[in-house]
Amino acid sequence: MAAREPSRFLSRALPRASVPSIRPQGFLSRRNVSDEAPSRRLSDHLSELESGSSLSTPVPEGAAQSFDPVARAKARKTQLPRGRYQFRSPKYDRGPLHPHQPPPASDPSSRLFVPGPFSAPRAEQTYDSTVASDIMSLCYVHTPPGFKPPPKAPRLREWDDSSPYHKNRVLRGPRGGDVLRLLRKPIKFNNIPEIERITIHSYVNKAATENSSWLHVAGIAVQAISNVRVETFKSKTSVANWGIVPGRDSVAVKAELYGENMYHFLGKLVDVVLPRIKDWEGVKGTSGDSSGNITFGMEPENVALFPEIEVNYDMYPPKMIPGCHITLHTSARTDKDARLLLSAMGIPFYGKIVN
Amino acid sequence: MSMHTSLRRTAATITNSTTSILPRLPTQPTATTFICSQCRHATLLRRPKRPYTFTQLITLSDGSTFTHRTTSPAPIYRSTRDTRNSLLWNPSSSKLMNVEDDEAGRLAAFRARFGRGYDVNTPAEPVDPKDAAAVKEKEAAAKAQADAEQEEEDNLLDLISSFGQNEAPPPEKKPFKK
Repeated sequence: MAAREPSRFLSRALPRASVPSIRPQGFLSRRNVSDEAPSRRLSDHLSELESGSSLSTPVPEGAAQSFDPVARAKARKTQLPRGRYQFRSPKYDRGPLHPHQPPPASDPSSRLFVPGPFSAPRAEQTYDSTVASDIMSLCYVHTPPGFKPPPKAPRLREWDDSSPYHKNRVLRGPRGGDVLRLLRKPIKFNNIPEIERITIHSYVNKAATENSSWLHVAGIAVQAISNVRVETFKSKTSVANWGIVPGRDSVAVKAELYGENMYHFLGKLVDVVLPRIKDWEGVKGTSGDSSGNITFGMEPENVALFPEIEVNYDMYPPKMIPGCHITLHTSARTDKDARLLLSAMGIPFYGKIVN
Repeated sequence: MSMHTSLRRTAATITNSTTSILPRLPTQPTATTFICSQCRHATLLRRPKRPYTFTQLITLSDGSTFTHRTTSPAPIYRSTRDTRNSLLWNPSSSKLMNVEDDEAGRLAAFRARFGRGYDVNTPAEPVDPKDAAAVKEKEAAAKAQADAEQEEEDNLLDLISSFGQNEAPPPEKKPFKK
């Protein structure tokens, strides 16, 4: 741990100053006329430096002998208070050059440490046991031995050298728009699409037009359904109808779900909440950002169907229960693969399927 | 924590004043005063906040159960409507296709009395025993025809498989099962 070796950087940096290195001499051998100018002369700068080093100060004789922490600890009659035996992370992160470094977030002594996972969610077990292998076999494309795929054109087009100005020009984007789509690699055992995270986002315009209680209720409702503390966000765009000014009003709450929370939420959503929505056809087949993330919305009355909100429905003012957008981020590179994964996990799609 | 917030506040107020002070520096060349606001370049490592979660047992409508972690304190959740009995997840289930609540048998009684001629989208059903016999005959005929077709197909299959091996005896085959 960095905190226990306080002068890691210091000890590395100090000898470098005292040891004469070869490199400056190499520089000196290359002399220019401009070096002789009084402002550039190296010797002047060197003369300004102090010759003495703080390392040369003598250490008092008895210091090394008297330092014996083991004997001191043994000589102690009673134990120190408990907290003195355990490492405590610094409260502040003071940058990478500070000698007192906080431990990494994965360390249990870190202030940022989040313990867990404590349970094996059902959805995750379903994915591991059946969905993953099914997707891998569904996406398998057989190529006979010795098959070489035909070479593809480069994604960025070169300029034809019809003009001398084309030299060294940066390459052109693809035809029909400048968007470079993600490359889809063949799906093998090591890149089976999986759900990476789920984002629950709720934009509450009444938070700006009326008062902040809308945002509080939305935050608590989203926290209740997701098991995750929410973040609030200010508006980035101005909406004239609602009187929203960018950067002034907090209008949105968002919860990001990873790992255990994510699978618990997905299981609850698929098994309990979505089937109870009246006249719900499924997620639209055209949704998705064409790189494997699929979003759908839930109306306020559908959000109220979550068992966590239902169990104490009276806590929430009925009008203030928010609607939300749920984004399922998958590691699939195309929407087609993402839909394959999500429909295997139990989310129905309807309508025209767009890839 | 309180220290941290106060620092931020001072920093926010001073940002404007520093810009106004910079041009003033040349006017006081003798006594150069730098405004040294407290600046620690330290970010507070906030402990992550996590809502308390309980373990809840969810009982689906077909009796299957699973547990999950939730903020709801209820130990058991019984669902009446879920993936096991909704049509969207069971598109081929005939049980869920025509949901007609007729627990008291009143609809059945009505139909017994007035027939189903009023219903527009009812399948034509035999009412009289005579009609029933007719339908049976029809079904038998259809089955016979299907059998005949099957036979023909088998013959064709035999023809194909025995092509080019005339001297070999045709293999005895069971009727092709679908």
